[in-house]
Formats: sequence, C-alpha cells, structure tokens
Amino acid sequence: MTSPLDGIRVLEIGDRGEACGLILAAAGADVLRVEMPGFGSAGRRQGPFIADQPGQERSLHHAYFNVNKRGITLDPSTGDGLNVWRRLLERADIVIDSTGPGVLDEVNAGYDSFANLVEDGKLIWCCITPFGLTGPWKDWEVNDLVQIALGGPMMSTGYDDHEIAPIRPDGEHSLWMGAEFAAMGILAALYERETSELGQVVDVSIHESVSCTVEGAFPNWEYAQRLVQRQTGRHSSPARTAPWQFVAGDGGYINLMGGGIPRTRGNWSDLMTWLDEFNAAADLREPQYEAAVHSDPMVATTERARIAEVIGAFVQSRPAEEIYRRGQSLHLPWAVIRRPEQNLDDPHWIARGFFSEIEIPGYEGKVKVPTAPWQMSETPNEIRRRAPMLGEHNFEVFNGELGLDAQQLVALAGSGAI
Amino acid sequence: MADLGADVIRVENESYLDSMRNGMQVFPDRPSLNGSGMFNNMSRNKRGVTANIWHPGGREMVERLIKTADAVLENFSAGAFERMGFGMDHLRELNPNLIYISISGFGHAGVDTTYITWGPTAQAVSGSTAMSGYPEPMPPAGWGYSYLDHTAGYYGAIALLEGLYHRKRTGQGQYIDVAQCETGMMMGGVAMLDYQVNGREYERQGNHMRWPATAPHSVYRCSGEDRWIAIACETDEQWDALCEVLNADDLATDPLFATNMSRIQVQDQLDAAIEAHTRQWDTRELMYVLQSAGVPAGTAQNSEDKMEHDAQLKSRNFYATADHPYLGPRRFEGLPLHLSRTDWQLQHGAPEFGGDTEQIMTEILGYTADEVTQLKSEIAV
Repeated sequence: MTSPLDGIRVLEIGDRGEACGLILAAAGADVLRVEMPGFGSAGRRQGPFIADQPGQERSLHHAYFNVNKRGITLDPSTGDGLNVWRRLLERADIVIDSTGPGVLDEVNAGYDSFANLVEDGKLIWCCITPFGLTGPWKDWEVNDLVQIALGGPMMSTGYDDHEIAPIRPDGEHSLWMGAEFAAMGILAALYERETSELGQVVDVSIHESVSCTVEGAFPNWEYAQRLVQRQTGRHSSPARTAPWQFVAGDGGYINLMGGGIPRTRGNWSDLMTWLDEFNAAADLREPQYEAAVHSDPMVATTERARIAEVIGAFVQSRPAEEIYRRGQSLHLPWAVIRRPEQNLDDPHWIARGFFSEIEIPGYEGKVKVPTAPWQMSETPNEIRRRAPMLGEHNFEVFNGELGLDAQQLVALAGSGAI
Repeated sequence: MADLGADVIRVENESYLDSMRNGMQVFPDRPSLNGSGMFNNMSRNKRGVTANIWHPGGREMVERLIKTADAVLENFSAGAFERMGFGMDHLRELNPNLIYISISGFGHAGVDTTYITWGPTAQAVSGSTAMSGYPEPMPPAGWGYSYLDHTAGYYGAIALLEGLYHRKRTGQGQYIDVAQCETGMMMGGVAMLDYQVNGREYERQGNHMRWPATAPHSVYRCSGEDRWIAIACETDEQWDALCEVLNADDLATDPLFATNMSRIQVQDQLDAAIEAHTRQWDTRELMYVLQSAGVPAGTAQNSEDKMEHDAQLKSRNFYATADHPYLGPRRFEGLPLHLSRTDWQLQHGAPEFGGDTEQIMTEILGYTADEVTQLKSEIAV
C-alpha cells in the first residue's frame, strides 16, 4: 500500500468541495469528479485561462483544483442519470456533496433517498454547504466575499486607515476552510467505520469553518468584551500596535513579526552587531531598549515604537531577500513577502520535493503545482494524473466499471443523462 | 482531535512555558497559568500533565507516555524535539508503530530547516500576505491574525487522521513532517499556474473579483461607526434586485452600469455610487433585505455580531458552553461539522497546568501514589 487512502472511492459533486476532493485525491483516494453533461463544473468557466482565452478545457482554476481526480459527466436529476448515480453510490465509500441543502434530495438523489447506503450501509456522505444543512440562513445566496465578511476574518483584516474598507484576502479561503474541516470529518468517519462498519452523514458549515478561523478575535470578545481593530499588514488588536511590515531597499516588502523586536537577549545582541555593521543602531544601545525585549508584543510602548522605528529605517536600506536570509540566520522570524509564484524556484521547496510537474491539455510543456503540505515517511505523496477533461473517464467508468455497453451509453448521452 | 474523541494529553513544563498560558489573562489582577482565555479555547477537551525531561524520572514518565500513545504531535522549531532526545529513531525504539507528526515552519527536510516562523512569517513567505489588499502602490493588507497557525493545525489533523487510518489498516506507524509555509502555498496554486502559463505576476485586486470578473463585488460602508456590508452580484437579476432594494434610480438607469461587462470597466465609480446608498442603511437590516431579494450580501461581522446577533450560529449552537475550574463556564468555538452517528462533543475546558498528572501517571502509566509523590517532590513531574 503506497497511499493512506488507496482503494477508497470518492464521488465529488457540486462546486464548493473541489479543495476537499483535492486533499483526498492527494492521499491516494480515487476521486471521481461528477460534472453536468455538456456544461461541466463552474470552475471550468472561472479564470485565469490559458492565454486568457476562455474555454471548457482552458481554465487554470480547474487544472489546479482537480489534479489527481478522474472526471465523468452525469445528471442525477434525469431518470436514467439517477440509476447510474445509484450504481456509482453502491460502489463508493465517500460522497463529497456541495450542491446545496436539499438540492439532490429534490430529485431523489440526496442522502435521504439513499439511507440504505448511508445509515444501514457503509457510505460516508459529506455535505459542504455555506451555512450547514439547518438554520435560518441555510438557503442564503453567498460567495467567498460574503462568507469571509460574515465569518469574521474581514473585520480583522485591512489597513490602519478605517476610511478604507476591510479586506477579503484573495484565494477563496472560505472554500479552503470548509474543505479542510470536511476532510477532517470524512477521515474521522472513515476511521470510525473500521470499527462500526457503518457510514454516516457529515454536515460541514462553511460559515462555521470561517467563524472559528479568527484566532484572537474570539477570546477578546468572550473574555473581555473587546473588539479587535484591523491594521496594515499585521495582527488586529484591541489597541493600535507598531507596524511590522516595511518596504525594503529594493522596493520589496518584508514582514518583521512584532516590529522586528527580538524576543531574547541573545537575538538582541546579534541584531545589534548586524546594525553596527551598517552604523544603523542609532540610540538602541541604551539599556531601556534591550529591556523592552521581554515586554508583551501586543502592548505598545514608546521603547517598542522606537526600536521598530530604527529597525524599520535599517531594513528600508537593504534588499528584501537579504533582510529575510540574514534575519533568519540570526534566528529572527523575519520574512520576505513573496507573491505565490516567487516560491517556484526557491531551493528549499525544491529540495523538499514540494512541487510536482503536471501537463495541462491545450498548453505545451509542463507546469509545477504544489503536491501536499507535508511529507509522510511510509506513504509518500505523488501526483498521479492531471485534472480530467470534461467526461474524460466516462467510458472507463460507465463501461469498464459499471458494465454498461456502447448502446446503453449512446442512449444515456442522447437523453442528457451523461 | 480531542473534540472528535481522542484522549489528547498536553505535556508541559514550567521552565519552557507555552506562551499562550500567559497570554490574554481573563482576570488581569490575579494572573495565573490557568487564566488565559485563548489557551482555554485552543485546549478544550484535552488533558494536561507536566514533566521535566531533564530529570531522569520526568524523562521516563514522558517515555512511558510515548509507549502508550497512538501518536506524538509537536510543533517545536525543526530539530528541537530531536535535541531534547526524542528523534524519530528513539521514538520508534519506544513504540515501533507510533505516528510521529511534527509541524514546523519550513519542515524537517530541505535546506532552510533552521528558519523559524510565526503565523505572519509563514503568511509572508508563502504568498498569503501578498494576496490580500489593494493593488500597488498600496501595501499588502495581509491577514489580521495568524491564519496559517490555524491552517497548519488543520492540515496537521488531516495528515494525522490519514496516518491513523493507514495504521488501522496496515499496523504501520510513520513520520509526518508538516511545513506551515507549504500549507499557505497550497492556496496559491492558481496564481502559480497563471505565472507559468501566462507569464502574469500576481496582482492584488482589493475586494474586487477578477476570476470570474463580476461587478459589483466589494465592501460598502453602512451607517454607524466602521460598519460595512459585502455585496456581490453574479447575475443581472441580482443587479436589478440590488438597484430596487436600494431604490437607486441613478444606478438602474446609468448606461455605464447596464451590464456586467460595462460595470467592470468603471468599478471604482460603481462602488462610490453604491456606497452613497448603503451609507443610509443599517448593515444588518440591509443584509436581510438583500438576502430576501436574492442578492449575495453579508455584514462584515465582528465577534460581537457573530456571538450575540448571528441567528444562524445561534440556531446551530455553535458557541456552546463548557466549564473550566478557574475561569468558570465559558463559551467555545465549536467544531464546524456534525457527524450524524458519532458527533463530536464539548466536554470540558482546557486542562489546568499539570492538572491531570497524578491521574494519568497512576491510571495509564502504572505509577503508585508514592512514586508520584516522590517524583513531584523532585520536580521531575
């Protein structure tokens, strides 16, 4: 056995569960992406596209979020499609269903209609929905912007200037958060199934997934009835703190956690030596500044402000990568602020084998994509296949695995079922 | 893992304290290692022991714990646990089928393994910071908290569950090396492809949406201090409904705003025109009216909104209450999922510092009460 989920069969239907399917597929599960015949998933119509030309097989969103999956087309709302859906469910271990509360049930294709497989069988049926399967908001219209607003990250994120609106970080993070918890719930159910030999329904709320991903905003209200205020490029806080984010000498950005103020005297002394090389220590050799090393980083003081000011002036004179590398060599948690693509050639990620190369139909040459954010000693990660083209595995699945013959497939295609 | 029923035992030591235990004291006039609200939320449902690994008796206690465990999880800087004497080889000697999972900033393998991260460090390197905020010349807004501390933990749980499942099926343990920066890079995959395929460097978009390009898609000021609403129209029907709810003839009749394609060209002007209307509205009232008209809209909720006024979270009892011996009954953030047959449970708050040492030593590890007393007197545990 080479992957943790070898032999586990997953059906993924709907557009909000792509990242969950991606995670399970990376662990070796056989994930079948179920798409609408003719149309395909919403992600196929979402850019960026190859050469900025939209097309069913040109979406880089689709190319990334469906790596390692196989793809079939199927419309379970048609009578013939429902029959095929049933046969697929009978062979599946897991369903990732993000079609929305009640959407599949309306056409007798949801978990309620297949209680024999879920409650009395071994099927794990995970619903990923914006608000969960119950509650007054369950049918609300949302997208990532709205979910990040409602869940709380937005009010913690933005700029010092509150005339500027709070910010939604780009990257569809609400879907990632939901997907991560869905993967946890599915794996917990799968583990439990080894003992009980029973499946169950896993109800994942994206709103709750976002709501619990806000760190200090929660305890500040629960324990002190304080609201946190957003600040430029650093942690939100009940009270204003000194800046952490600076423009380096080459125009790049850097992040100096806690204003760059070291947390130990050893680090402080190393930093002073470095500043002295460039005659940049100013008045920081005065004793009150070293003493500030042990003060609470979340409490603003004049000493911390002055240290941050001097360090800020220094880092603005040197290139961003140099500040990052030299700072880290002194065990300071300093960072260069990179765009995602600036990591593609970093020797560390290459040495770890973080990136794998895949093909994309319609593009010549291979591209690098992240494989998985961890290394496992006995079940190594590997990318086994590129994202599927629309209906690419219809014949393989419907004929090879379900035993439908060519005539039946033609009839199914003719009726719009596949 | 603890919410899902695992017996999670947190191992601590006074000379190397978890800084969370001192952070955010609930009773500032009587600070205590048991007085942190942040720690209480993060460590609910766990049990806690103290051990001094530099005392032979304390080290033996930790080794006995490892022998009985299914998994060991640590998130020290890479190499630290090994320097404490707990390298993978020794862990395997103690427990051949153990799952050892480490979560560090850059991972244990590679060339920059000595580099250290806090959440903001990892966010900066991975690309998460750069993907948040308005375009240049505005600086990145980043994330207003340690988002990747959450994410690394979530992926840690996923990896651990995968490891446990593999072990259940094969009996084989393993070593799992999670890198926090990589968890952030996973979320930048599309931008990486866009660069490689189209040569496009990532550019921030503020609150606008480029893929797919839709407008309006932004955050608008409402009445009151620092109150905002997010509104996104993905169809012309939604746009018409927005104009109607806002009673905004200026929006509905302006040819510049007639189609999604035209609105995208003038987004700043569009946003200003919409905001002139939303400023008159209470954000929650507007959210409810827009939602009943089918327009994707939501208040930018703060913690007070979510914990006191969010009807959805209330209906699902998301902020349930549990007791803590020092802090009393408190609300916790729930796990955002429910399993129909074996659901998770909120049983109790975080462990007191060393609060379960005696019980765990006698009930799980086979120490006698006298041995525990002796080890305690030597400050071994």
